[in-house]
Amino acid sequence: MYVIVIGGGKVGYYLARDLLERGDEVLLVEKDAVRADWLTTQLGSIVMNGDGDEMSFLSTTGIERADFVIAATGDDEDNLVALQIAKKHFNVPHTIARVNNPNNIRIFKILGVDEAISATELLLQAMEQKIPDDDEEPPEQPKIARE
Amino acid sequence: MNVVIVGCGRVGARLSLQFVREGADVTIIDQNAAAFARLGNNFAGNALVGNGIDEDMLRRAGIEEADVFVAVTEGDNRNIMACQMAQHIFNVPRVICKINDPVRNEVYMKLGLKTFCPTIVGADTIHAMIEKD
Repeated sequence: MYVIVIGGGKVGYYLARDLLERGDEVLLVEKDAVRADWLTTQLGSIVMNGDGDEMSFLSTTGIERADFVIAATGDDEDNLVALQIAKKHFNVPHTIARVNNPNNIRIFKILGVDEAISATELLLQAMEQKIPDDDEEPPEQPKIARE
Repeated sequence: MNVVIVGCGRVGARLSLQFVREGADVTIIDQNAAAFARLGNNFAGNALVGNGIDEDMLRRAGIEEADVFVAVTEGDNRNIMACQMAQHIFNVPRVICKINDPVRNEVYMKLGLKTFCPTIVGADTIHAMIEKD
């Protein structure tokens, strides 16, 4: 599987590393040249320095044959535009976005991004699963057998 | 007429003042309060400090009653996202988006956004001026 990851911050870096370990073909795109050099020392030649929302650059990445494009930068507007271009212009079958502001999940979905994932929302969901509902009966206390 | 403008740079400020002069209700948003200095001392519209791609912020700016929405920040992607929110979430009747990159401009024009590209307009203007001489 060919996966393009846009944004080599912490999220993009660990994702690319794990995908490589899984045996996928990975390309990690990083805008900042200094960061891209560092990523190359860690991950090898799978890193490209460039703008993940620039069409002329994207067309040099083999995006036409990508199975997944994942936008993982810290800026929702950049993730959205990169994935809209991937989807609408290059017909990439699967697009996944990191969404920083959880309110933005809605607009990502409306505009055709396949999956929109917010860490904030996942954390909230994990918390909610631990908080009992007010209406719910409190769980029965285990009875201690008396002698 | 209710107008919401995102980005108080030179274009945003000038446009706001123009609309206010014509009697429109204008709300302008910018992340940087210092940008509002461009509006002068007696600006008769609303100036809000905040993020133009945040739904709650846009609601506070009155986007639900807006007739016109314009995004003219220095970030193409920011403008594109704000305008698509205005169009697809808030159904603002007239939405205009500034996109500096001509290639991106063409992509989003095709996707149904009303766009304006200062790069193309600027180059064409200069070219026409030289041809005329």
